[in-house]
Amino acid sequence: MTQLFPLKVTGAESRRRGKLLVGPVDLELGPTGTTIVIGPNGSGKTTLLSLLHGTSRLNAGQVTWACSTEDARRHQSFVFQRPVMLRRSVVDNIAYPLGLRGHDTKTARAQATEWAIRVGLGDMLTRPATVLSGGEQQKLALARALISEPKLVFLDEPCAALDGRAMREIETILTEVKAAGTRIILSTHDLGQARRLADEVLFLKGGLIHEQGLAPTFFDQPQTSEAQAFLKGDIVE
Amino acid sequence: MKSLAALSFALVVLGQAVFADVMKLAVTTSFHNSGLAEILLPEIKNDLDLDVQLLVVGTGQALKLGRSGDVDAILVHSRKAEEEFVADGSGTFRREIMYNDFVIVGPNADAANVGSASDAKDALQRIANAKARFVSRGDDSGTHKKEQNLWSSAGLKAGELGDWYNAVGAGMGAALNTASGLNAYILSDRASWLNFGNKGDLAVLFSGDPVLFNQYAYLPVNPEKHTHVERDLALKLEKWLTSDRAAKLINGYEIDGQTLFTFNAKPPSQ
Repeated sequence: MTQLFPLKVTGAESRRRGKLLVGPVDLELGPTGTTIVIGPNGSGKTTLLSLLHGTSRLNAGQVTWACSTEDARRHQSFVFQRPVMLRRSVVDNIAYPLGLRGHDTKTARAQATEWAIRVGLGDMLTRPATVLSGGEQQKLALARALISEPKLVFLDEPCAALDGRAMREIETILTEVKAAGTRIILSTHDLGQARRLADEVLFLKGGLIHEQGLAPTFFDQPQTSEAQAFLKGDIVE
Repeated sequence: MKSLAALSFALVVLGQAVFADVMKLAVTTSFHNSGLAEILLPEIKNDLDLDVQLLVVGTGQALKLGRSGDVDAILVHSRKAEEEFVADGSGTFRREIMYNDFVIVGPNADAANVGSASDAKDALQRIANAKARFVSRGDDSGTHKKEQNLWSSAGLKAGELGDWYNAVGAGMGAALNTASGLNAYILSDRASWLNFGNKGDLAVLFSGDPVLFNQYAYLPVNPEKHTHVERDLALKLEKWLTSDRAAKLINGYEIDGQTLFTFNAKPPSQ
């Protein structure tokens, strides 16, 4: 059975046109729970998640898994802040990753239907995905990410543009999949969401990890002045 | 092998804004791994107020997404498949944008003596004769198709090569990682190789044969087949991709002082 963790990051850097976006980052993550990546806008949350997932270029350092990188990638999914909808129905969007994995259409659609119902899209299976609301598209993206039963899901600000109800629905699903053993790494600038979901926190500022710790410790006894200011709601530059 | 193809599936959006025009473009993993998209997309956004949503897949999947009308255009590198895409009416035309080349990468010790090969065909025959470990993308990508053609031209069938031939069904980065881990030979596009951070004991052992030329082309999806296709935006992007501005950005993109792509687009006639 493939083991992804520990995930070890050493000296990782990401640059664009010579400008350092993230790093150097040294980090080790264990096999269970939800890690929340928080920090002010522009702190590098999205880039860090992309580096870990392998969709962003690593300019220096290493990201290594307990298994080979290709095995690790096979067992991961990524939910983007603004997911791309294929010009297909809801059910066919959710089924798409299974088609890529060689499942026949009937099986893929049956599983996609189950997931659509689970995320609250069961009454719009045949609707074109592109006409869904932002919250519905995000739930579809979550179902599409989870249908292949990944061991790890990255979510980049998945609720940034959602109303309270949609956010609650997404968080409920995430709580369920975590309970079922899926590892979650989620970025957010929403402190309330961080408190509700986090087992562990990475606090980013200026492309660097300023603080890493278990959620209760981080929220009750932040060690750095920047984290203290961020938790108080001050503007952190 | 099919089960691993999902590795290359990713949905990437860079810099999307609420009021900008939006179009969908399927691109190959090798293009995305090169890092060039991160340079071009923000400039396209600035110049055209156009958000280009990338669907990062292998060439085979990109063509399928085009045929099903899921995207407005594709940017891929498999000439024969591209010409079929236009011939069967799925695409309106094929516009060459830029090229790089394929290289044969392998262990520094080079047990198969690929470094002394006279051409690409000879290089593969040497690998086969030595039964040296070889990693194949195995994912119906443009790189995979090119590799199969090269084996064929060397008088060998990729599917009958023995257990030293490892088809991993993965994107370029993951396949390079496998080759690095196995200390094996692999065919890679030069951009992905230069951009690859885990080279280990691997090095470029053979390059320069004209058959290793790797042309990238842009193909808008035919709006007559899919009326929802954003034809005007696809043409707007084509005009930008063939412009002097794109030429400067593409030719100027370097990693460790090496140019990854050479712009060779001709301006659109319309």
